[in-house]
Amino acid sequence: MPARWTLPALDPHNRPFFTSGRLALQECAKCATVQHPPEEVCHSCQGTEFSTLDAEGRGTIYSFVVVHHAANPALADRVPYTVVLVSLDDLPGVRIVGNLIGPSPDRVRIGLPVRALWEEIDLEGETLLLPQWQLDEGADAD
Amino acid sequence: MDRRAAVVGVGESTYYRRGDSPKTAFQLACEAIRNAAEDAGLALRELDGLVSYLEPLVVPPKLAAALGLQHLDFSAQTWGWGGNGVASAVAIADAAVTSGYAKNVVVYRALRQAEKERFGRSEAVPRARGDYAYTAPYGLVSAAQINAMQTRRFMHEHNVGQDALAEIALASYAHAQHNPRALKRGKPLTREEYHASRWIAEPFHVYDCCQESDGAAAIVVTTAERARDRRKSPVPILAAAQGLDYRDGVGAFNELHFPTAHYRRVGELLWQRAGVRPTGVDVAQFYENFTGCVLMAISEIGFCEPDEVEAFVSDGNIQWPDGRLPINTSGGNLAEAYVHGFENVNEAVRQVRGESTCQVDGVELSLSVAAPGYAPGSAVLFCRE
Repeated sequence: MPARWTLPALDPHNRPFFTSGRLALQECAKCATVQHPPEEVCHSCQGTEFSTLDAEGRGTIYSFVVVHHAANPALADRVPYTVVLVSLDDLPGVRIVGNLIGPSPDRVRIGLPVRALWEEIDLEGETLLLPQWQLDEGADAD
Repeated sequence: MDRRAAVVGVGESTYYRRGDSPKTAFQLACEAIRNAAEDAGLALRELDGLVSYLEPLVVPPKLAAALGLQHLDFSAQTWGWGGNGVASAVAIADAAVTSGYAKNVVVYRALRQAEKERFGRSEAVPRARGDYAYTAPYGLVSAAQINAMQTRRFMHEHNVGQDALAEIALASYAHAQHNPRALKRGKPLTREEYHASRWIAEPFHVYDCCQESDGAAAIVVTTAERARDRRKSPVPILAAAQGLDYRDGVGAFNELHFPTAHYRRVGELLWQRAGVRPTGVDVAQFYENFTGCVLMAISEIGFCEPDEVEAFVSDGNIQWPDGRLPINTSGGNLAEAYVHGFENVNEAVRQVRGESTCQVDGVELSLSVAAPGYAPGSAVLFCRE
């Protein structure tokens, strides 16, 4: 995305996911439910204390969008770009959005294996590590 | 649900391509409500309730003053991020009149999409909060893009081809050619033009996406008993439903049942309350934000299995006059006007009255389904008195 595009507003719930360089998912400290995106309340036990669980960072493309029309002028020179929805191999109920870095949009298919990488962005003195995805050429297609 | 409430008036403003209206949204709302009251044979001062959905500008206290309501005894709006509230707003009006909170309740929606307020655009925000933080930084910011993500997975799981999406657009455009209010009248669409049109966000071509329009639409709801005194035959509300399944209100595509249009629960409640099956429906208006989401709603609410939806909408099956279930008979969001879907409620009422420009013969049950893909979904079923 462009240098001055929208970035996450960090808060206590999403800070691990966007700054740790790991797929740090929200885990309920009381009942160990993992939920994504992070919520203010555990959807299983209504607990409000959380820790994190690191996912492995491998998954498959569950769905995708190839964006051709820039909904905002700031994205006009980025189209076409690909947004993927990735189902995690170790937590298949969790789906994570990202950009597919590298291949042209016409190579994208549901079921392709992908692995996470991190895009480093300076956010007002704090380093943001935004999860992104690349094709996992060594893995078998789902 | 026993037909205790009925629609007695429908009205709309002139419809405009977005940005072309010389009137404000507030002025458009007043025009639509005046027309609905006149259609009902009611004086404006006799209206005493105002209901809408996602309505930020046209607020009941000011509207009541502008229209000269003697009393405003009831006002409300329903939750949600979009046109998913179209039918649940009608349900609120039903509940208000049948429980006696008000006598003549108006349900309305007005839009004027000025350049800064276009639904098809996304304002750049430096920081995204909540669920939006997990999508916006990746360039997923418009409704078309978000619904494309759902539709792509639905097409994959149920072997749905691009032609199924085309069928929804072709039906709306074909029906709009008969409707003098329709902004796409005189602009027929062919299958070839559909497939050759530019992509917005694959799998959506430009013709898969609703228009951006300026306009307002309104209905008047009263009790079945009072409805008998009105000018035209009342159109009873047989049943309405709003619904959402377990953990389907979660964001960033992590709904338990992703991809879902949020219409399974709505269907369960609606058919149970109405005491009829989908096969009994004569004509239906499905809110078309995007064609692919309509396919999801058609199957989830119970007209067919998802694997059968392409066959259900193909071969002219959803086109007037010969289709087994004509849908979006005014042209709908795609080709009449995008009044946040409320024009589809007016059309559903007109089908029962026999006033549609694509009139289905002998309508007994007329369905209006609100926006798919936004939670909770809602639907309303009108019937002949």
